[in-house]
Amino acid sequence: MKSYSNTYMFLYVSALVVIIAVVLSLVSLGLRPRREANVQAEKALQILKASGYAHVERAQAIVAFDSLAEKESSRSDGEMYRIRCADGSTGHVIPLQGKGLWGAIWGYAVLSDDLTTIKGVSFAHKSETPGLGAKITEEAFECSFEGKKLYDADGHFVSVKVVPKGKGEAIAEKNRVDAISGATITSRGVDKMLADGFQRIKE
Amino acid sequence: MSDIFNIFVRSVFIDNMVFAYFLGMCSYLAVSKDVKTAFGLGLAVSFVLAVTVPVNYLMDKYLLQAGALSWLGERFAAVDLSFLSLILFIAVIAGIVQLLEMVMERYLPALYMALGIFLPLIAVNCAILGGSLFMQEKNFPTVIHSFSYALGSGLGWLLAIVAFAAIRERLKFSNIPVPLRGNGIAYIITGLLGIGFMAFLGI
Amino acid sequence: MKKYLGPLSKDNPILVQTLGVCSALAVTAQMKPAVVMALSVTVVCAFSNLIISLLRNTIPPRIRIIVQLLVVSFFVILVDQLLQAMLYDVSKILSVFVGLIITNCIIMGRLEAFALSHKPIPSLMDGMMNGLGYGLVLVVVAFFRELLGSGTLWNHPVVPASWYAAGYMNNGLMILPPMALILVGVLIWAKNSLTS
Repeated sequence: MKSYSNTYMFLYVSALVVIIAVVLSLVSLGLRPRREANVQAEKALQILKASGYAHVERAQAIVAFDSLAEKESSRSDGEMYRIRCADGSTGHVIPLQGKGLWGAIWGYAVLSDDLTTIKGVSFAHKSETPGLGAKITEEAFECSFEGKKLYDADGHFVSVKVVPKGKGEAIAEKNRVDAISGATITSRGVDKMLADGFQRIKE
Repeated sequence: MSDIFNIFVRSVFIDNMVFAYFLGMCSYLAVSKDVKTAFGLGLAVSFVLAVTVPVNYLMDKYLLQAGALSWLGERFAAVDLSFLSLILFIAVIAGIVQLLEMVMERYLPALYMALGIFLPLIAVNCAILGGSLFMQEKNFPTVIHSFSYALGSGLGWLLAIVAFAAIRERLKFSNIPVPLRGNGIAYIITGLLGIGFMAFLGI
Repeated sequence: MKKYLGPLSKDNPILVQTLGVCSALAVTAQMKPAVVMALSVTVVCAFSNLIISLLRNTIPPRIRIIVQLLVVSFFVILVDQLLQAMLYDVSKILSVFVGLIITNCIIMGRLEAFALSHKPIPSLMDGMMNGLGYGLVLVVVAFFRELLGSGTLWNHPVVPASWYAAGYMNNGLMILPPMALILVGVLIWAKNSLTS
């Protein structure tokens, strides 16, 4: 076996590190615009979905979004927009952030002009269980929020509750949606996320 | 304070490295023939995790994250080195393991005799790198949180490998179908243990 | 050619050598991330084998692990960056598991056992075949988990609606992480029964 001097080993590793760092920096810089565009497009797609535009191509998402939405205000947890929905009416886009079972969940809710009725929602998650918690991003769950009210019959703020099927009789139909069976924690997370988000709008 | 404890309990039982994320499976399967060695390796893993994760946390916070270099001055505020995190984390881990080995050999010969043989194995144990990567993903507020997470994950891993080794010792005397002997049954048992651990969900 | 085919069945890295399970099984709940993960591992494994084999006569043995880790992490970061730019959806699902390819024991194992002592072209082949053998298991596991757990393949529903009407239900258990292990156990069982 050949023996190597310490200087050789040190230089060897140093040279390797420098080469790798330089190549990776170049790649990272080169791809950055694409990565950022992806993040932007993802957000635009989500908001468009909540506003009723079901099938927008990713490539057109940003252009479509810019033509339909207008920024209202910036907050610590995201930006509020005013958007023209697919049915021709206008609404407010509310950013939502919360925690699911395994990690972060987030989304957008589109509220009617008077901020009392949900026109649509879209959710996303970092790492919920596929087939269980991950169902919050499915159409069936998201659609169940349409037309729900943030206030009860007496005009008190109640948010929209996510409760297990058959356990929410005490809450009026218009103030609740069915939770996803088998995904209790994720559903609770959505419930809390909505309550937090709407509470801030109320204030 | 309570959230630090929460993180700890959660990482031992719910986000268990082996059962929830399958990390460190290679050494888990290879070194679980008897309880004593398993315990030794488990301790070594916990130890290395508890040291490397906080160090990598500081690396991430003051070196890698977007804006992390702002302490160097305004000009560096926009630098985002997070694409280098993998390389730096693995280098830190390999370095610390090497260092620990030398320090232990010199000052703690008894401990070195017990854990020393496992240390080189550990640098390439995915549970260790996984710990650092999940730490980065979870975005802990302070270094104490990351320490609590690391210790919990390590102990969770220890718990898993010791439980598994104990079962394996008994298995030697049971009559398993021939094609299933060895690895086959090992995977299935791990799966069953994992299902058992899922009972902790929602604590 | 034949000598390279071993990793696909006879010497399959997961089923026989129990290497590299770590970073893999968590991504097998659905086909699409499993296929992307399999391809990523194949690419990383093949090219780091090639590079290490090219460098094999210059690497000082005492620091070879560090050199290997550097080369592997280089390719992993490259793959990670490309995924984030090109396949954003999938990269979200794979998250930290792409990073964990670095410590995938298959790759380090092949570098130690093969690339350090063989010529570049055979090393490239060896890395590729081992990556594919590993990917094969991932995809098979993902196939069953997605089919039985969600009733879909590649996100397309395949279980006819009439079955659901007749009382068929998706098996939620298949989606949970531990079932991946049990499926691999069953695969080993099946393989051993067939080959012995």
